[in-house]
Amino acid sequence: MTHIIRGVSIAAILAGLAVTAQAQDFAGVTLEAKLIGGQQYEALYARIAEWEAATGAKVNVISKKNHFELDKEFKSDIAAGTTSWCVGSNHSSFASQYPSLYTDLTPLIPAEEVAAYVGANIAAATLDGKLVMLPRAQFDVSALYYQKSLYEDADKAAAFKAEYGYDLAVPTTWDQVRDQAVFFADPPNFYGTQYAGKDEAIVGRFYELVVANGGALFNDDFSPAFNSDAGKQSLQWFVDLYAAGAVPAGTTNYLWDDLGNGFASGTVALNLDWPGWAGFFNDPAASKVAGNLGVAPAPMGSAGVRTGWSGFHGFSVTEDCANKDAAASLVLFLTNEDSQILESAAGPLPTRTAVWDHVVAEAASDPFRSEVLAAFQETAKTAFAVPPTPLWIEATNLIYPELQAAILGDKSVDEALQTASDAVDELMREEGVY
Amino acid sequence: MKLGKFPPWLALLMPAIVLLAAVVLVPLVLSFYSSFTSYKLTKPDTLYNWIGTFNYQKAAGDIYFWTAFGRTVLLLTVALNLEMVLGLGLALMVSKVTRGQRLLRTMMMFPMMFSPILVGFQFKFIFNDNVGLVNNTLQSLGLTTTAIPWLVDAHLAMFSIISAEIWTSTSVFAILILAGLYAMPQDPLEAAKVDGCTPLQSFRFVTLPFLMPFIYIAMAIRSLDVARAYDIVQIMTNGGPARRTELLWTLIGRTGYVDAKMGYANAMGYISILLAIFFTVYFFRKLTAARAELGMAL
Repeated sequence: MTHIIRGVSIAAILAGLAVTAQAQDFAGVTLEAKLIGGQQYEALYARIAEWEAATGAKVNVISKKNHFELDKEFKSDIAAGTTSWCVGSNHSSFASQYPSLYTDLTPLIPAEEVAAYVGANIAAATLDGKLVMLPRAQFDVSALYYQKSLYEDADKAAAFKAEYGYDLAVPTTWDQVRDQAVFFADPPNFYGTQYAGKDEAIVGRFYELVVANGGALFNDDFSPAFNSDAGKQSLQWFVDLYAAGAVPAGTTNYLWDDLGNGFASGTVALNLDWPGWAGFFNDPAASKVAGNLGVAPAPMGSAGVRTGWSGFHGFSVTEDCANKDAAASLVLFLTNEDSQILESAAGPLPTRTAVWDHVVAEAASDPFRSEVLAAFQETAKTAFAVPPTPLWIEATNLIYPELQAAILGDKSVDEALQTASDAVDELMREEGVY
Repeated sequence: MKLGKFPPWLALLMPAIVLLAAVVLVPLVLSFYSSFTSYKLTKPDTLYNWIGTFNYQKAAGDIYFWTAFGRTVLLLTVALNLEMVLGLGLALMVSKVTRGQRLLRTMMMFPMMFSPILVGFQFKFIFNDNVGLVNNTLQSLGLTTTAIPWLVDAHLAMFSIISAEIWTSTSVFAILILAGLYAMPQDPLEAAKVDGCTPLQSFRFVTLPFLMPFIYIAMAIRSLDVARAYDIVQIMTNGGPARRTELLWTLIGRTGYVDAKMGYANAMGYISILLAIFFTVYFFRKLTAARAELGMAL
């Protein structure tokens, strides 16, 4: 017993020494940071004061913007050579655009710490062998939100079966989503579903459907691969829903906020959306579907694969940072277990295995939260990130106007995909990709 | 001392010349130079990669660039003419008001005080197909049972953008024309009245020629504004859907800052400047002619 007490005392002293050493390590260091801004992220940033107290370092947040604005700022910084700030918010969809901006975290973060994150997230955060960011508890993959009451109406069930020949149930395939969306739609008062209709968002949705239908957006050499049967089948799905009036007429102008608010208004039956909306959708003060909300895993395409375009936020350290060790310590702190437990308590999904277990255990007594987590956990199993090319955003800017042209009837599916494929091919050749 | 050799006038002008060179000339020369390179924001070294006129040739052969160019000219033409007609009407009406004119003048300027970004969001909501003010009003009045896709339809989307432009800038015309009305001598109008001119004839042959220099100044100012239209369009449609509302600067902005291809964006920018130069020269010629007609100094 005495040995145990003595052992514990020694361990406590060593731990104390370690904390003191850590505190002295970075005393006098000031780190400049450019972070994603928004109310939902502030709880985590409040923890920065704890890291400052523990290490003696100071953090000076010099920019707080959304990722699209940060992206422009980072590009301007690279152009102007003003990259001596240290910590930046990053996102898996943007990360590949800044090959020279961020340093490899592998030598700065202990291997056992890296192993504590979900393997798929670390793989997606590793570009050209460099671990460019540590993922925070902001993992995004989409699951299917739906209005439960639509599936409890016997008359609707009978009418659906008479028209389509199978039972009306929460859809498990995208073909079923199309049938049901057309069946439920009663424009302009009620729509079967909706989709993000512009920018990277619609290309992301198209990309995941192409994969679910057994295709790919790019070949291994990043030449375009979407002008294929799977690509045509996928784009046709978007076109059919628009032509049938099953989606709002303005959907080609919608982005995430329009979609979230649209579903919360109670005028949409089925909505593929991100986990961060779950709380909002089930909040009676904000949403008309609260209490009538179901969440199911993302449906599958014709290849039996679930859609699963995923992304996550993270923190990176710049190559030009004068105190990379301190910066890496901050990044690790902001994504450690305590930080991820704090962030995921508000709804976002974690990226550490232990925190997933914690969140699932916490939700056991809340049936809605359990349903949400089960749906997203199932979808996350087969999730996939955007293709790892620095030309991803540029390619999406060439693809999305063509997808829109097909949806709005300006071009046929074949013409639109051929034009988009030719444009992406020209881009890749011009940039010397192949 | 070498500086002593400068003539005094040049020495005195030197600070202004240096300042102008620093804030105007250097960025201009740098951006012009970069339009001959493959400059990408994310690859600073490409600033030194000289590719000759490749960017200009690419822009010249790009159907989407010329479509955006044509659409910008269309927006310019329609918006400027409508703003002129509405601004003229507004100014004529306000000039007749005897009480509360000052208040009206201030109110007239309210739209100009809003940031274009805010105007964009405001009109995006007004024309939203699902929850927008226009569709809800039309549906409530029983005038339509469908959700009109204002920001999606090929014609309606441009109409929506033009509405926002007109709402925010008609007062530019109104204020300048109102200034012209105040400066106008009353003698010719009274002479026309004595000669038996109808009010319409007085307006057509006396008031309007006097106002034309003011109208052309407003047109020159607004043509530069509209040729650079970006904020409102960016928020309302971002040039979409399917490039239906793509204007020069939404295309150039996306190419330069999202795709990071600054060399190519600058080349497109320099071609686009031709448009602004053309309209400025055109309106200043008109202005000179209108002043000559009135016997004013050229």
